[in-house]
Order: sequence, then C-alpha cells, then structure tokens
Amino acid sequence: MNIYIKSCSQISVQEPLCNKWFTKPIKYECPYVRALDPDYKHFINPIAARRMGLILKRAMATSLTAMKDSGIVMPDAIITATGLGCIENTEKFLSVLCEEGENCLQPTFFINSTHNTIGSYIAVNIKCYGYNNTHVHRGISFESALLDAFIKIKLGKIENALVGAHDEMTPSFFTLLDRVGFWKGGFAGETAVSMMLTKCGDIKIVGVEILYMPERQKIVDVVNKICSENDIAIDDIDLLVTGRNNNDENNMVYDDFENIFNMKDKSESYKNIFGESFTSSAYGVCYAYESLKRGISPLGKKVSKVLLYNHCENKEHSLILLTC
Amino acid sequence: MNKTVFVTGVGIISGLGYGRRVTMEALREHRSAIAKIRYLDTTLDLPVGEVPYSNEEMMDMLNIHHDAIMTRTALIGKLALKEAIEVASLNPSDQRTVFISGTTVGGMDKTEQYYLNFLHNDNNKEYIKTHDCGICSVMIAEDYHGFEMMTTLSAACSSAANAIQIGMELIQSGRCDVAVVGGSECISKYHLNGFNSLMILDKEQCRPFDSTRAGINLGEGAGYLVIESEESVKKRNIKPLCVLSSCANRCDAFHQTASSPNGEGAYLAMIDALKEAGLQASDIDYVNAHGTGTQGNDLSEGNALMRVFGDNMPYVASLKSYIGHTTSAVGGVEGVISVLSLLEGYMPISLNYRNKIEEHSFEPLHHDTIPHRLEHIMSNSFGFGGNDTVCIFSKIKEDKI
Repeated sequence: MNIYIKSCSQISVQEPLCNKWFTKPIKYECPYVRALDPDYKHFINPIAARRMGLILKRAMATSLTAMKDSGIVMPDAIITATGLGCIENTEKFLSVLCEEGENCLQPTFFINSTHNTIGSYIAVNIKCYGYNNTHVHRGISFESALLDAFIKIKLGKIENALVGAHDEMTPSFFTLLDRVGFWKGGFAGETAVSMMLTKCGDIKIVGVEILYMPERQKIVDVVNKICSENDIAIDDIDLLVTGRNNNDENNMVYDDFENIFNMKDKSESYKNIFGESFTSSAYGVCYAYESLKRGISPLGKKVSKVLLYNHCENKEHSLILLTC
Repeated sequence: MNKTVFVTGVGIISGLGYGRRVTMEALREHRSAIAKIRYLDTTLDLPVGEVPYSNEEMMDMLNIHHDAIMTRTALIGKLALKEAIEVASLNPSDQRTVFISGTTVGGMDKTEQYYLNFLHNDNNKEYIKTHDCGICSVMIAEDYHGFEMMTTLSAACSSAANAIQIGMELIQSGRCDVAVVGGSECISKYHLNGFNSLMILDKEQCRPFDSTRAGINLGEGAGYLVIESEESVKKRNIKPLCVLSSCANRCDAFHQTASSPNGEGAYLAMIDALKEAGLQASDIDYVNAHGTGTQGNDLSEGNALMRVFGDNMPYVASLKSYIGHTTSAVGGVEGVISVLSLLEGYMPISLNYRNKIEEHSFEPLHHDTIPHRLEHIMSNSFGFGGNDTVCIFSKIKEDKI
C-alpha cells in the first residue's frame, strides 16, 4: 500500500497560502521574523477570531486549505506537531501567575495553552471525531506526527490524515531562547504547515524514519534499508533537503552525511527561506513536495526522488524519502 | 489480525509511594494519598496527591548530584522507568527498543520558579533548556542507553495513554521489538492554578461518581510499561505479565474543556478499543474509569459506559480518590495499576462514594468484592479538548506462551 501527500499548505515568513517562495523568496537579514498572516476572515468567523491566538488561526487556515486542496472534507485523523505549543497563551497565564500571584487568574489563557489545544480546536470546529494526537518532541515533532499518520494508514486503521506542524514565536520567548543560543546560525521563524496524507496522489512517501543518537553506521544502514526495500538506488536520489543553516556545529552533521553518500552537489536547504523553529522541518517537506510537483527544485535541479535529512542537536535524527 | 503485544514490565510512582508493591498494598488497604500540599511552593490550600519525596530525596534515590539541572517531572519519570526496566530485565543490547512518553507540564515547575529571571537576566538560564516536553523525555531516558528512537506526546490528560498507543503500533508495524511507554507529570503551580481558575478542584477528598462530587484533586506521578512483540518475548525468554489487547483514541469534538453530555468521544473510543481487541462488551470485567470527580466528566463518562455496556455493566471504579488526577501521566500510572490488578486478581474500589448519580444506572465498585472472573480490564484516560483514549489489558490465555 502506498501513502501520498495529497496537498500541502503553509503560512510562514514567506507569502502565506501560496508558493511564491519557490521562485521569489523574501530574503531576511534579521534574527527574528514573525509569520506573514493572510486575511483570516475567509477561514474563521471574525467574532471567534478575536479570541484566538495566532497559532490557532494559522492552524485553522492551513488545515482548511489543505483539506480543500485535497478534496477531503472530513479527515479520519488530525495529527499535530508542535515543539512549544501555544506559548502566547502560556506566557500570558505565566506572567500573571509570576507577577501578580495566585489570586487573580482567569481560565481563558490556561484553557488555550495546552499543546493539544491546536489539534482539538480543529477537531471541534470541523466536528472530527477521529483519532487526534499531538507530538511534542523537539526538532523531530513533525516527523513523529508524520510517522504516526504513515503507520496508522499502513496498519489500515485510517484512510487519510490531516498532519500539521505549528509553532509560534513571541518576542519574549525569542529572547529566552536566544539566551541559551537556540537561534545560533539561523533566524527565528514561526511554523504553520498542514498536509493531507492519503492512499492516492502524486507525491509518494516512500519512508519515514526517526533515530535517537544513532551511530554513523546506523544512519547509513537506515538509508540503505529504505532504498533497497523500495527498489531505489541511492544514486537515483536527485535532491537532498537538509536542515542546514549558518551554524558550523549543526552543519557538520550534514557535511558528514553528504560526504558518505556523495550528495554534496544534490543538497539544498530551506531554513534560509523559512527560518528556524522546532517544527521547521515541515518546510523541508513543503520544499520537497513542491519540487517534486514541478519536477524541478528552486535551485534548478531536475527532481523525481527526494531524501530529507534533519537532526536536532545531533541527538534526534530523521529521514524521509519522497518520490513522484 | 494484529500481532499480539505483551506487557513485560511495569514501573510506578505516585502519591502512594514508589514501586508496584507499595502501590497495591495501599490500594488494598484503601489508603488515600490525598493530603495537604507539602512540596509545591504555592499559596493555594488544596488537597493533592504529591509524590512523597522532595526533589533532593529523589536525586539521592537516583544517585544524582543535587546541583544537577533536573525538573521534578524528569525525576519522577526516571524512578518509574528504572523499575519498569528492572521488572522487564531489559538490557540496552536487547532488541530494537523505543521510548514513547507523555507529558504536558514538562519543565514548567522550573519555568514558573525562574520565569522572571528568564525574562530579565541570565540567572538560572539552564532551565530555559529544560522547559519543553521533549527534553523531559530525553532527561528521563538518559540513564538507559538502549533507545533507538524516542518521541513525546502531549494530549493533556490522555498523553500517556496516547504514548501507549504509539508504542503498540510501532511494534505491530514491525518497526521495533520493545517499546517503553507511559508518562510522567509533576504538579506545577501553573496547572494547579489553571484548574483552580476553572473552579473544578475539590477542597475535600474527591468523590468520583458520587452525586455530591465537587471536582478534582490533582496528583502527580509516573507510570511506564514495557511492551513487546511475541517474538521478542520468546527470544528474551521472559515471562510476560499480560497482554495489551488494544488502545484506541477518539476526539469528542465538543468543547475545549467540557465533555459532551452523551460522552460521544469516550463512547467511540471504547467501541474502537473493543473492536480492535476482538472483544465483546460483556468480556470486560472491570473498568478503571477516568472518573475525575468533576460534574462534567463523571456524568459524561457514565453515560458513555451505559451506552457501551447497557444492562451488563462491569465493575467500574476510579483511582482518583487515592492518588489524585495525575494528568498527563494518568494512562501510564493507572495502566500499570490495571496490569497489577489483573495479575493479583484484585479490583481496586472507589473511595468516598455514597450517593448514586441520578442519571446513571450503576454505582461504582465501592466494597471489596472478589471477582468471579478478571480477564479483561479497560482503562480510560480522557483529556482536555475531548481527547479520549481507552486501553484494554488482558490475562494471557493458556495457549499463548
């Protein structure tokens, strides 16, 4: 059984809900950029929108767009990835708690601050009673959600899944993370990506693998395994998409990988376009998806098979193979 | 037919103490851990089920230096994981093993302590790195060097149960042989105040499924189960404890915090779990209910139970009056207790029950009763956002291993 990405929708520091980034990406020279928001009135009742945080509005807009583009009105599952969850509301509740004490707290911010607020908000709005889960594991949160959907479809438990990756970045949380060097080598962005996984389509997910602190040989073995199980020669992979930025420590891992597989000339990256967040690797899939659909990458490579390699602090590693 | 998944190890820590023996002993003696707050730095005076150790005491138990950068959720989790690995005789070289853990609080206990520093200066900035949920799993798992993959789930109070489901499917799909699954959560000022602002915390010991119930007592704890494939059980030559027959999740799609009156999500999750396990409703002998003691949950869950079981209601009980609501850890903590209940043939009863809920056809189990049969236990975990997860644990049939 094959599993496909049927549609893919994004809001980011690039123009929202379209693919202009592919040919004319907006370039940024600053350390922190908020996402460019579309007009949400097409997606959300304006009265409801006033009470919603940006992360929820973006999740609704990308989800509804991905659903519409896929022709699926009711997904079997809603699977969400978020590294930090609804931090705007978390901060609002936390600030009152820390600055004014425990006597004047209102529940609204608390209710909307759990990580699964996003997935359940979508479910409540579209009345989806299906499987609903939220993956929150650092830089591989998105891959974890993708794997969850992939396995559930393979096991025959669901036919399709709405998979989303959502992270917002507030000015104060940017400062916090900056204190511990989180943004080294890149610029902080925000993530809102939704995609529909189905059993028919054009862009096939051949494999998804997540590894924790793998030895170098283990990574080699896993790449070989995905390829050989699917009758793909490693040399036939024509595009490698990595989480490369301007941090040498981060890039060393990708250098090593490119050297092992002789893929230096095939390598492209997306963080220079979309920025960093715990779930920015979802933009890697957007990048690969759009390249496969067009048969050509943003940098002009002919593309029919794409390998995505991502790691988080050299602990969590992920591999995704897509073909058309 | 899905592959059989066995439970081969369990580890638990809660208000009742550390380890499976003290836990079951307390349940048999009807001893509640709900008491005044001892460890959390708060001005609220509410009864809770705290793990009966300070962070320093847990560090001593784990041979960790007191200066180590460590959150309470991680410490609690480390203790439960340690026991689970010991019970399962798991070694890092054994099999392909994954770690799937649920939490929502993550490092919030330290963030709320140092947040003003984080904003204004570099003091205690190490704890910025321990804030997120994922790093919590990394810290819990760091002493065991055998995990090939790791991930973290956060679905509020069904987080740990959702982690169990992910682990089960990783085994069924052949991606791993062994999964250590469950969750960990400490009480934070953040969510104690959050629940308090929702006015759903009882000032007395909670009374699940009682008509006079007045809310939740928060608890903290961690519970991990080692689950593995049949081939792995045979290869490691280990005696399994029971079978994890199924795990199913559905969304109530009703409201961010309230449950639908007819318990649609809970109903669908229970039906899915039965179907996946290949069982009839009448096969379930005991339900470890979510039973938080709130007006909304207990009414909704009871209504869903009535829809699933009709006139053949199995024994139903809630553990919340012993250990409180352990939020994201609940599916792990109460999953472990469900496994131990099956093994010991003992059905924990609900404490503090007096009056039946008018709309309900059943009373929770509230007197010690010797079951004529205890083969299948259903364990419910329901969370914010209508996230409803149901696991079924079953005795091992004679012809299986």
